[in-house]
Amino acid sequence: MQLFHIFRNTPLGRETLLQSIYFCNKIGASPIVYIPKFLKFLMYFENDVVQIDLDPSYLANPDTALKHADQLLEETGEKPKFFNPKNFTAATLPDVPTNFDFMCCPRSISDLSCKIGLGYIGPRVRRIVKSAHFPVLITSPAYKPWHSIAVLFGGSSNALNALRLGFRLKRLSNLPLEVFTQSEKESRDFYDAVIKAEGIGKEMDQYVTQWHIFDQGRFEHNLYEIPHDALVILGAYGHGLIRDFIFGSKMEKMQSEILNNFIIVGPNYRARN
Amino acid sequence: MDGKSDLKRWRHLANFSIFRSDDRLLLIFIGIIVGICSGIAAVVLNRSIFTLFDLLYSVYHYWWTFLFPAVGAALSSLFLEKIINEGAGHGVPEVVYSVSRRGGLLRLRSSYSRLISSCLTIGSGGSAGPEAPVVMSGAAIGSNIAKFFFLNDRQRITLVGCGAAGAISSIFNAPIAGMVFTIEVILGEWSAVNIIPIAIASVAGTEISRLLQGNQIAFSHHKFNIDFTDIMASIGLAVFAAAASILLTRLLKSMRQLSGQLPSPIWLRAATGGAAVGIIGLYLPVTLGEGYHCIQLTIEGLFEQGLMIAALATLAKIFATSLTLGSGGSGGIFAPCLVIGSLAGLFYHRGLVLLWPTVSWVNEGCFALLGMAGLISGMLQAPLTGIFLIVEITGGYEVILPLIIVSALATTICHYFEPASFYLKDLVERGQLLRPGTDAKVLTDLSVLELLETDCISVKQNMLLRDFINIVKKSHRNYFPVEDQETGHFLGMVYLDDIRPYIFDPIMYDAILLEQIMDSEVEVAYTDDDLFDVLRKMDKNQLFSIPVVQNNRFLGMISKATLLDKYRKELIVQTTHRCF
Amino acid sequence: MVLTIPEIAKCFGLSSNTVERWIRQGKIPIQRRNNSCIFNQSILEKWAENHHMPFEMTVENTGNELKYPVENLLAAMKRGRVFYNPDGTDVGTILQAAAFLIPDLKSNVKQKIYEKLVEREKLTSTGIGKGIAIPHPRICLSSIKESLITTCFLKKPIDFAAVDNEPVFVLFILLSPTVKTHLQLLSRLSFCLRDVSFVEFLKNCPSEDQLLTIIADFEKQFEKSNSF
Repeated sequence: MQLFHIFRNTPLGRETLLQSIYFCNKIGASPIVYIPKFLKFLMYFENDVVQIDLDPSYLANPDTALKHADQLLEETGEKPKFFNPKNFTAATLPDVPTNFDFMCCPRSISDLSCKIGLGYIGPRVRRIVKSAHFPVLITSPAYKPWHSIAVLFGGSSNALNALRLGFRLKRLSNLPLEVFTQSEKESRDFYDAVIKAEGIGKEMDQYVTQWHIFDQGRFEHNLYEIPHDALVILGAYGHGLIRDFIFGSKMEKMQSEILNNFIIVGPNYRARN
Repeated sequence: MDGKSDLKRWRHLANFSIFRSDDRLLLIFIGIIVGICSGIAAVVLNRSIFTLFDLLYSVYHYWWTFLFPAVGAALSSLFLEKIINEGAGHGVPEVVYSVSRRGGLLRLRSSYSRLISSCLTIGSGGSAGPEAPVVMSGAAIGSNIAKFFFLNDRQRITLVGCGAAGAISSIFNAPIAGMVFTIEVILGEWSAVNIIPIAIASVAGTEISRLLQGNQIAFSHHKFNIDFTDIMASIGLAVFAAAASILLTRLLKSMRQLSGQLPSPIWLRAATGGAAVGIIGLYLPVTLGEGYHCIQLTIEGLFEQGLMIAALATLAKIFATSLTLGSGGSGGIFAPCLVIGSLAGLFYHRGLVLLWPTVSWVNEGCFALLGMAGLISGMLQAPLTGIFLIVEITGGYEVILPLIIVSALATTICHYFEPASFYLKDLVERGQLLRPGTDAKVLTDLSVLELLETDCISVKQNMLLRDFINIVKKSHRNYFPVEDQETGHFLGMVYLDDIRPYIFDPIMYDAILLEQIMDSEVEVAYTDDDLFDVLRKMDKNQLFSIPVVQNNRFLGMISKATLLDKYRKELIVQTTHRCF
Repeated sequence: MVLTIPEIAKCFGLSSNTVERWIRQGKIPIQRRNNSCIFNQSILEKWAENHHMPFEMTVENTGNELKYPVENLLAAMKRGRVFYNPDGTDVGTILQAAAFLIPDLKSNVKQKIYEKLVEREKLTSTGIGKGIAIPHPRICLSSIKESLITTCFLKKPIDFAAVDNEPVFVLFILLSPTVKTHLQLLSRLSFCLRDVSFVEFLKNCPSEDQLLTIIADFEKQFEKSNSF
């Protein structure tokens, strides 16, 4: 398993890389670090090509970037692996492959880091989430270790994928797994039926330590129940552009409320075992 | 399944049951839409260049007009770099790259960026052509329409072709040239499944252009009486045209290198180039813009200046084009090629008349046409495109014989000096030109993971030979990966061939540990390696199989035997055109 | 029809990665929706034929039957039974008597087996030394449904032209329908016979039950090492 990380040679980038390394250690993956040499790159997905324009801080101090990244990676004990683009769409436009198992994104890639506020997920990160068949790790602003896994499960197909990923990470890391559901209209039976229909009832019993179902209270308030040191897995909700624009997505709402590390499972995620 | 995706399902056109088995109708239908869209894009660009050029050069007798191309080029490169933020490339190579390697995926922004930037460059007087930007836009429109309908790679590539064909057909009012150009340059593959939608898209593009601009043949038709001497003379013209195209290619390249070395920001570089073009334009206005007007003059025999001016104009146009494009202006080489070709043809004709005044040569318009075909064929190394384009834009069929000779010869001569055409040179240099059905394409498509054989039994380094022999009995392979007892890391391989002397000797059974007989310095391949490199590694070390390792863990073996099997299947799938 | 990618990959004998790529590239007439593939079986079969691909819908069978069952020595010996003191004074007559002792076979088959055994003996003796012989036909007999080993203890040892020239006192007539089972049984039997104490035990002309108990012990050993 491999996690793709774009290194930003700034203190903020250090926090992000530390977070990626922590994640990799927990689940036994190995990080692949890309130290960008151009501000742009393309990611070719199955039915989309996404151009990612990095903000200029990614290219700051190119002389020390390799050294810094090397230092951080060396502490893991494994030989650091760096990614060098082999293919170029145009001379200054490298292609980044998309066959990784995870990708780490800060909350925003293209905008200046000073503009990154809570509850903001940049448009490029969204687009990656939307097209990618790998889940995206969105790190907390500062390095924050976690000791359990929390899956937000709302019954949709993306949420089911999030749940499957939760099982997989649970198997890999052997940390306690909790499931949180904010029930809006349906009763618990509905969720049980969904789980059963997907044939993951056995895993549900085997892996999940506790399943919290909130049938009252507002979503934001109930978020307090999620442990502060948990890795939160949630499905990206495939809202349309307009709905996103006016109401903001649940993804953003979550982001603005809790500072945990997130793994976001997009609509094109392919479950692996 | 939530309701949301049910709503979106209509976009999965290819999943409708009528198209599932046969998508030809679907492709033709979407091809028409793509052809129309790219046709409109071409007309819009053509018109706006025309308008802008007219507007600016109503005042062109003033000396300061040389600044127009400078401002235009600077604005155009700023637009591409800062507003659209597109890694500015030439356009056509990007389309070919995407077709050969990425299933025709192109960015949405490419569908309009080049239109605006090239309008700025060319409209302000820069010497470049609108065709490459239009091809890029048309291709990107096709690609994005395919993306919208969730079509697969093959269908998307066809639609990219439709876009390019529609654009070229529309801009020249020449459907066959559009089709041939697409197939010869963009797709590189002749197959019925592709040709039909592309032909239809060419028709749609041409029709749109005729509706909007009227059915005008780009250059009016003249009757030429071609004698045997003219055909002989065309051989000389081919050499001449080839020389001109080689000069243009080389100049473009060195100009690009030169401007790349300047430490100034890109918009300043573009402005410098533009200003230089403007200065040339002050003395020789024929070099400015895309130059269709100049072509008109030469064909009709109205280019009045003498022999030396024609020679000078040819050289000046070559310089102006390499300055504009090399310094970062946006546009293609198609139209400049036509201009250079026509001027070169003219010059050649006048030279002939001067040398052999007694021979009755066909008029100089004919030689201008032949020169155009020669340059197109030489630069693009696409002889058929050159032939069909000239036949179509002049509406004359009499020139076909010398046309074929010039095109074929110019292509051959240019190929001798420049092995790859102008559009494909970058790709060939990077090894990225992958035409369907070639070895490189098959090897790129197959990945290490697809060839992996995972039925190897792995062993631990401190296993006794006795235990190992029991494993050998069960296994049906000759290779055994050795993994570390604790970490599971890959340590090396045990080859049955190496240990044959020991395995029949029971005394050794308890005396030897696998650690002692394993080969720990084996060549390994990694999952993200290109198959091409893996094969080279195997050939170099004369291996028939090689272990694949990821994260220090053994994943499986790749062997040439499996490779042959998969390679053959891949080749069949790539080259057999589908009849379900 | 709807199947998953791994299932389709199995039908074609390809890797899932390849099938996934072909679907993406539109080289194979399959549409994809989420994790399942939709296709028309007859179209896909035709496609496979046109592209010279093997295609077999074997989704229901999970492939366990592919493994050959390991031939059990104990069962074969039970089927073949144990006999004592067949008539005869030389190799030919002893073999004839022994062949006709083999249970559950028609007499014409027994006659044929006898001829084959003699033919094999003419080639080289099947006496493997230490007074033991394993007569068997050279070519596997199709008329035999299940492999069997018929054990015959002789009244008095006879000259069998064995490798060590020792007179033979026991015959294990080995019959099997396929070469593979023949080799498996032969390998297991010879493993037992390599054991010196087992040979001594045989010399005492044990009863059928005694013999089978010992063989059962050997079988357990084989199970444990899981070899052969």
